[in-house]
Amino acid sequence: MRAEDAARAALDRAIGGGVTDAVVTVSRVRETMVRFSDNQVTVVNELDLEQGSVFVTIGARKAAVDIPDLRARSIRAAVDAALSLARSASEGDARVPLPSGPFDYDPLLLDQGKVDGLDAVDLAHVAISSALEEGASRVAGSMTVRDADTILLTSGGVDARVRKPFLEMSVRAFAATDASGHGLSVSGSPAVLDPAGAGARAGRLASLSMEPIHVDAGEYDVVLDTMAFADVASQLGRMASAFMVDAGMSFLGDKLGQQVASDMVTIMDDPTLVGTPGSTPCDMEGLPSRRNVIVDDGVLHTLLHNSTTAARHGTESTANAGLVAPHPFNLVIGNGDQDMDSLLSQVDRGIYITNDWYLRYQNYATGDFSAIPRDAMFLVEDGAITCPVKEMRMSDNILGMLQRVEGLTREREWVRWWEVDTPTLTPAALVRGLHMSRSTM
Amino acid sequence: MEDMLQFILDRGRELGAGYVEARHHRVEASEVMLKSGTPEASASSQSTGIGMRVLVDGAMAFGASNRNDRRSLEAVLARMVRSARGASERRTDPIEFADANLGIASYEIRPRVKFTDVEVADRQALLMEADRSAVEAIEGTGVKLPGRYMSLETEVTHKTVWTSDGARVRSTVPRASMFAVLTAAGPSGSTQRMISLGEARGWECVERWDLPSTLAKEASTLAAILEQGKPFHGGYMDVVLGPEVVGLIAHESSGHPGEADRVLGREAAQAGETYLGKNDGGRRVGSDLVNVVEDPTLPYSFGFYLFDDEGVAARPRNLIRDGVIEEFLHNRETARTFGVASNGSARSMAFDREPIVRMSNTFVEPGDHGLDEMLEDVKDGVYVRNFMEWNIDDRRFNQR
Repeated sequence: MRAEDAARAALDRAIGGGVTDAVVTVSRVRETMVRFSDNQVTVVNELDLEQGSVFVTIGARKAAVDIPDLRARSIRAAVDAALSLARSASEGDARVPLPSGPFDYDPLLLDQGKVDGLDAVDLAHVAISSALEEGASRVAGSMTVRDADTILLTSGGVDARVRKPFLEMSVRAFAATDASGHGLSVSGSPAVLDPAGAGARAGRLASLSMEPIHVDAGEYDVVLDTMAFADVASQLGRMASAFMVDAGMSFLGDKLGQQVASDMVTIMDDPTLVGTPGSTPCDMEGLPSRRNVIVDDGVLHTLLHNSTTAARHGTESTANAGLVAPHPFNLVIGNGDQDMDSLLSQVDRGIYITNDWYLRYQNYATGDFSAIPRDAMFLVEDGAITCPVKEMRMSDNILGMLQRVEGLTREREWVRWWEVDTPTLTPAALVRGLHMSRSTM
Repeated sequence: MEDMLQFILDRGRELGAGYVEARHHRVEASEVMLKSGTPEASASSQSTGIGMRVLVDGAMAFGASNRNDRRSLEAVLARMVRSARGASERRTDPIEFADANLGIASYEIRPRVKFTDVEVADRQALLMEADRSAVEAIEGTGVKLPGRYMSLETEVTHKTVWTSDGARVRSTVPRASMFAVLTAAGPSGSTQRMISLGEARGWECVERWDLPSTLAKEASTLAAILEQGKPFHGGYMDVVLGPEVVGLIAHESSGHPGEADRVLGREAAQAGETYLGKNDGGRRVGSDLVNVVEDPTLPYSFGFYLFDDEGVAARPRNLIRDGVIEEFLHNRETARTFGVASNGSARSMAFDREPIVRMSNTFVEPGDHGLDEMLEDVKDGVYVRNFMEWNIDDRRFNQR
């Protein structure tokens, strides 16, 4: 079936089956992902997928079922399964009606174009060459090129069709076993993709981080470059989901209206930015997307809601509905007025961290966490980088750390990769007194 | 469906592939969730499609589609062959496969209680009972459970793997798993516990887990920690690690580092690197007491399989024997590079994911001590039973 016919058939069947509300999505995804390592392509992935989902409520009973393909019988089976599940499920939160459409969406967000004529294998080789030219000896990574065409229909009268490309170059370069750098170019538009820049950054950082030394554990002033700061700052977006708060898995649970970060820190979820990696015209309930200021000058301004969590919290939806839980789409961290040299110049003795991974919580409810710097990391003395360092662990509290942000760069970059799920536009940051432990004896 | 797999093998060869693999992969899954006592939406999914791989002029391409008509699959195949051919022009060393013990087999784990026989309301009722049980277990203490998240998932995975060099393997494996996060809070602060269980069986294993009792015990332990826990001085000391922690160490510090694709740098930009090198067989990494085994063939274990997704027969693998690295986990590509036979470690979680080298069930073999005997020997130390925060460096050398 054609996608639009499949979506309509699913919605009609759900409504005919007596649902209180229904949401149907059908998408077609065409993706090429080139993976490379050791300076050559290791595998090319070619995907051609058509699938969907149906979400129904019958009173306060809810069910979500995936539509595995667009054959008429698969659609019928998925809708019938959703009806059956909902009828036999226990009641959840009190029923809240879906937003009543139709709505007007930004036409530029509805149709953000397609990726045409890009050769992902060539792009991978561009990144590899750039990294090697900067002095790397070994380069690995992935280049993803995706076109998604998604239809959203709801029993509330929503009818939206979204065409959106996504591109992600993630490249890691090595100049030695313990000297590496990572570069990214993430975009919702082919026009701004920069695989050469990503490769060059990775290669340059790898070359600069040769022969790293150990330094003692302790409290350091740190400059977190964009990949590392995105990992930390995006935690506020993730933990602002009312679902996480209600499950006791957020350190923002009782913090509305409170200072949760330095007054330099402003964090928005802004899916309205056309051509950016996480842009969308609407959420999964069909509400037109909007810019939500989560943290405004350091103060927690709002949680992220769908209609159900909003009702539970006595507020309005922020248009962040996912199929089950609300979530951020496209995080934007407010920038500062400094450049990288200026941030570094304010550090007497500290560490410049270019990337990190494995951010994990000791306690989600308090924000106690640790994360491991990965790739190039440098000792900063008297305002200048002096030598590469290795094997440290950030061990602190997210809120405490963000309270100690004392500088942000003017320049920002989009970050999304293995460690950072939600696309995040972020500056680099200066954080005072970060607790760093040694990750080896 | 088998007609379609044969078509893919034939058409792939006609298009110029030296090797073709086709996997029909269906996962029927169902999940119920409870958020602080309130049911969330019940979910079910059926993911079905065909994953394919081709080797063309020494380069590899993977492709997948759930549009299971010949024209659509052929279009993806053509894209794959074209991409692989493009990549092959700039490869310095052609990808080749090691010979392997390929299967012609069919196997299945038959559940005693089928998942389809357990209504969603009964599943939710079980979680709600477990939730109540946890809350009630600490009534009368100064501790509450302000946050409780629980999920219970069942799935049945059907795979049929055919390769152009003769593998013909069909399997059906049911799995059940549960995950919970309890947040306990009292006057002294808060603490959390993550609990996860899983087996390759029918619903009977969920019944055996006795979730109400299990969650009640966990809640009581959290309350005791908050009410009786003492500040800890830290420092260097002897520790006794419980099975959850030892299992994690086996998985993260032996299993992942021993994945041969990681050893070759294939995961460098994603899942990271390893402290082990290609020639590290025979390297001492532990005491004589340390034996780490990777065994997908354990009946009813969560990682159970008898043939991998390249159709290669699985077997137990000794990652570390008497403290010494004995073997790595291989697919047919890495086995060829290492000059060994594949030990059947190519795994894929869905039809649209390429099979890569991954673990199944990784564990440290038991020794001859009882827990009390080990504790007796510790004068000033810690017994660590489980964990929340955990992370590891890029080369998987040190973890916390």
